[in-house]
Parts: sequence; structure tokens; C-alpha cells
Amino acid sequence: MQASRARLFKEYKEVQREKVADPDIQLVCDDSNIFKWTALIKGPSETPFEGGVFQLVFSVPEQYPLQPPQVRFLTKIFHPNVHFKTGEICLDILKNAWSPAWTLQSVCRAIIALMAHPEPDSPLNCDSGNLLRSGDIRGYQSMARMYTRLAASPMKG
Amino acid sequence: MLRRRVSWDVTNSLAMDDVHPSSDSIEEEATTKCYSDGFDDNEDPFFLSDDDFVGGDDGAADALLEDIKEDEIDLLKHKQQDYKILNTAEIRQRMERDVAEVSTVLSISKDEASILLRNYNWSVSKVNDSWFTDEFEVREKVGLEKLVVSSDLSSNKRKIITCGICFEPYTSDRIRYAYCGHLYCEICWSAYISTSINNDGTGCLMLRCPEPSCRAAIGQYMIDSLASEEDRKKYSDFLVRSYVEDNRTTKWCPSPACEHAIEFSGADGIFDVTCRCFTSFCWNCKEECHRPMDCDAVKKWILKNSSESENVNYILAYCKPCPNCKRPIEKNHGCMHMTCRVCRNEFCWLCLGPWKGHANCNRYMEKTDTEDRRKKLAKESLEKYTHYFERWDANRKSRLKALADHQRVKNEEFKKLSESQDIPEAYLEFITKAWLQVVECRRALEWSYAYGYYLPDKDPAKKQFFEYLQGEAESTLEKLHNCVESELKEFLDVGGLSKKFSEFRTKLVGLTTVTGNYFEKLVRALENGLCDVNSHVIKGSEDEVEDRWHCDRCTYANPSSLKSCKMCFIK
Repeated sequence: MQASRARLFKEYKEVQREKVADPDIQLVCDDSNIFKWTALIKGPSETPFEGGVFQLVFSVPEQYPLQPPQVRFLTKIFHPNVHFKTGEICLDILKNAWSPAWTLQSVCRAIIALMAHPEPDSPLNCDSGNLLRSGDIRGYQSMARMYTRLAASPMKG
Repeated sequence: MLRRRVSWDVTNSLAMDDVHPSSDSIEEEATTKCYSDGFDDNEDPFFLSDDDFVGGDDGAADALLEDIKEDEIDLLKHKQQDYKILNTAEIRQRMERDVAEVSTVLSISKDEASILLRNYNWSVSKVNDSWFTDEFEVREKVGLEKLVVSSDLSSNKRKIITCGICFEPYTSDRIRYAYCGHLYCEICWSAYISTSINNDGTGCLMLRCPEPSCRAAIGQYMIDSLASEEDRKKYSDFLVRSYVEDNRTTKWCPSPACEHAIEFSGADGIFDVTCRCFTSFCWNCKEECHRPMDCDAVKKWILKNSSESENVNYILAYCKPCPNCKRPIEKNHGCMHMTCRVCRNEFCWLCLGPWKGHANCNRYMEKTDTEDRRKKLAKESLEKYTHYFERWDANRKSRLKALADHQRVKNEEFKKLSESQDIPEAYLEFITKAWLQVVECRRALEWSYAYGYYLPDKDPAKKQFFEYLQGEAESTLEKLHNCVESELKEFLDVGGLSKKFSEFRTKLVGLTTVTGNYFEKLVRALENGLCDVNSHVIKGSEDEVEDRWHCDRCTYANPSSLKSCKMCFIK
């Protein structure tokens, strides 16, 4: 069996086992293709994303884990390091700082950490980055919260 | 190739005025001796010993060739005082020597020593200094912190361990770890290393443990034991590259196909080096050799050329009209002596003056008409630049042409010539020497024009002295270039044994030496910032320098008070 396939299979089993352990992350593998994954992550508390549920899509390359997976937000999110239209994520570990010791699960954790700690100096979403860089925290938070409400809040009841 | 230095060194102690008498006497001595009129035992300092060629004795010729080689090796040794040319094997040797030294001095493994050196630009002294200042800090910085691996891994070979990458269980003998002790299986390690070697370029030399939070370095030992043959070769090439590029004392030869590096240790401000591939360049700025100009001035000049080149190109175009019949003429030879195909008018390419009686035209003449002052100044500044650029560029092209001509003659004509003149090919070495002298002198002359452009107008004494030296050097070079280009061609075209060939040889060798002396003098004077000029001015009045006429036969500059040449008594 291909190394990437074997490794993903291991991760799949690990995910099944850990489901209860990390309630913030729900990783699901595509039924027919082990290289396609989706994840639902909860917006971290005490951030404008709190209360939202965000969907990520993973596209895993054949060379995984030597090459990083491609991840993007499917849910609209107002965040300086996420492209507003495509959902592309600017995160070092998904590019040059990738290490084969990372897993899909740990990538999700890193993305949650990024949501709580944006890096406005390397923005993919300039509007969002400019709000933070000009010190308009309130403006940033209210915009982010609005999009969390509009796009990432599950129907109640 | 390296022989040209000899010719500059032979009689460089001669004072300027002494050059002619001595060279004349050499010519006299040499003309009486000719290889075809019997062979005597006199050792001629300028020629290969004639005796070696009696009866076309191959053994003797071989011995002679060996002599030449030894001669070149001696020269190489002489030059190695300033710099060394290193091939890949020698670079590796040096690298290993440095690694071994650090390993011994710091009592660490060679693996660790190599990692340390890589992090400190391969400077042994820097490694030692930092290490003895704070070993712990250095270890942390470069990723060589002490091993923290659990001891039961080595004691129990059958222990089952899960690889941190593929999460497969392996017995501990198939698990590997760097200095940090993070455990991964051999397969994942080699895939990790191979990915880095093939994607990260020299970055693979700084490879760290796969664990995201760990900064432990991966040394050569891990690479050698885990990577494929092909990857090991690549890694080792990257190491060599890093050794040359990060080291402050070595640089690659800039020639695209050349794999040599130059280690430079000279401190006297002369950076000219010649690689084994015969590429000559300035070690300091990596431009082509540019003695007597310094690197900063060269940068300025090159910048100026790129910004004004459009303008000047427009003015120069590629053709010039023949001054007599006005037919456009394109220069296709190296020397400045032009002969119009149509009207047979001979003229100088640079000043378009008649060649007969032409001594030199290097001196910049300021126009003295009384036009609008500003307009005039602007025009003059362009004219001045054009004057120097044109001569700089013409000499540059001439140099390249000479180099190509030399190669062509050597490759295609030497064999023919040696057959037609019935002499061994090794004996034609003097032609090579002359060509290389032309190339070297064209280069010096080329840059002397850039030098001249920046010479301040305020110091007319210096300028005059400069122009005098340059003019002398240039006119001998024209003679030499003409001799080796046109006169040689006669022998190539005609074929058949020619008695004149020995005369030609004598003339060419003499010219080579004399030209070398002139240029040595010119280059030295320019490098000294023309500091001799004060004594010169005090001794003779300025007019005396200006009012000299140059003898057509020996180029000696005679005072205008004399009607016949002081040296050869003609006119």
C-alpha cells in the first residue's frame, strides 16, 4: 500500500478513537476517496468567531506526509489570513514550515490557534488586516462577528 | 597562458628611456642568429634553444615541451602566493581539513564539527571563538543539544516503537533519531531527507528534525546512512557549494562551464586572477580584469556606459566613412591600422588621420572655438565621454577579436605553419606569446581609457604624463598587433619555406617584450596614481614633454630640438 494511503488510514483510525477527546474538531473522510477530507471546527471562545462552526476542506497530495495537505475554509470567514472569496489560508506550516510529523488533526488545531491569533502583517484579506493594523479592534471584531453570525452559525432548534 | 607575466617581468627595471637601446640590441643580437643558418650554442634569452630542433628530433622537442610545462608550473607556484585555484577534489580536501581541525580542537565528532562550520560560514576561528565563549548557547543555536533519548532504546533491540510519521510499529533496530532523540522509522527518515535534498536546494544542509517544535540538526552521518546514492552525491555537492559560497576567502570562477573555485589571500589590492579555464577576472568585484582601474571606478564606468550607451551608439554607429573616398568602412580586424579596400587609403580607425606618420591619437584635444559657453560645455562633456568610450570600446572589441584570432591561428594554422616552415609546433610558442601579450595589453589599454575619463582636468601635468605613457604604450601595441595579425598572415597565405620567417620571429619576439615593458610601466604608473609626475614636472618643463616627436622606426620620443632620432639616427 502507498505510504500516504497507509498514513491516512492510520489517521482515520486515530480520529475515530479521539472523537470524544477533542470536541472542537470533527474530521470526516470522504466515503470514496481517502485523499479528500472535511473538518468542522468550532470558533475559539473569547474571539469574534465564538459560537460559529467552520467547515474546512482538505485535499491531500500523493506525497503526503512529506508534502503538506491543501486546506481551505468552505465557510465564509472575516480573518486577515484567510482569503475572503476562496477561503485559502496563509499559514506557515501549510507552506515552508511543514513537517511530516504534523497530522490533519494537528493542522486543524493550528488553524484554530490562527483564528484566535491573527497575523495582520501578512494578510490575505487586506480589509481585515488594515482594521487590525490601524488599531480598530472593535471594527474588526464586529465585522468578524457579523460574518460568523451570517455564515457560520448553525440553525437553532 | 601564464607566460605573459614573464614578459612583463623580464626587464621591468628598465627606465623608460632605456627601453629602446636595450630592445634594439636584442634585435641586433637576434637577427644575426637564425635557426636556418646553422645552430650555435649561444643561449638566447628570448628564444627556445635552437639546438633542440636539429633534424626534427622528436625527443628533444618533447623535452622542450616539458621544459615549457615546468616553466608554467613554476609560474603557477609564483602566482600561488596570492591565490589558489581549487578543483572540486581540492575543495573537498580543504573542507575535510577544516572539519577535522574543529573536531580535534573542540573534542566533538566530525559530524558535529561540520554542522558547526556550516552555521558559522565555514570560519574555523569564528566557530572556536563562539564555542569557547558559550558552548551551551552555540549548541542550542545550531541544534546540537545533548542527546535526551531514552536508554532502553539501545538496550532493548526488540522493543516495539511507533514511528512519529507513518505511525507504524517498528522494532527499535529500525528506528532512527538525530541528536534530539525523536523517533522515526528508517523509511520515513529517508523519504524526509530525500524530499529536502531534492526540493530545498542548499537549504537541505540546514535540515532539522521532523518534530515541529524541535530544532535538532541532521548531520552528514544521518544523510550518509539513510539517503540514496544519488541523493548523497547531491548533498555532498551542496556541501561543496556551501563551502565555496559561504566562505569569505573563496569564490567560484564566473565562467559558466567552469567548476573551479579561487581562494584568494592577496592583500596588496591587486585582485586579478586567472582560472585554469583561462577566464581572467577581478576577484573582488567579479567583473573582468580591469587593472589599472579600481573596482569602484569600474562600477561607475559600467553604469555610465549603460546609461549613455544609446546616445553614444547613435553617434558611433558601426561604420565610418573612409576619410579619402567616403565609402563606409566596417572594422573587421583587431588593430587600428585600416586600409580602404577601394582607394587603398591607409588611416587610423580612431582619429581617421593618415596612418603614415601616425604615432598616436590618444590625447584628448579640447575644441577652442568661442561659441555659446553652455552649449559648448555640454557638447564637450559628451565629446569627451565619446572620445574615451570609443577607445575603451574599440580596444575591448579588439581584445576579443585578438583572443578569437589567437585560438583560430593556434588550432588551425600552427600545424600548417610548422609543416611549411619545417619546424616543430612547439617552436611556434612565440606566436602564442605575442597574441597573449596583445590580449593582455588591449585589456590594460581598454581600462586605461576609462581611467583617463576620470582623470581630473585640473591636473594637466598628470594628464600629460598619463597621455604620454598611454600613447607610447598604444603605439607599440599597434605595431605588435599589426605584426602578429597581418605579417603573420603572409606566411599563412603563401606557404612554403620562407627565409623571412626567422626575421619575422625576431621582430615579433622583440616587439612582444618591448610592448610588455611599456604596459608594465603604464599600469604601474596608473596604479600609483601617477605619483611620479611631480618630479617629472620639476625636472623638465611641461613643454618638453609635449614637444616631442616619435621616431617612426623605434617609437622613441625625441625632443623637438633634435632633427634625427637619438636612438636610431634616421630623419
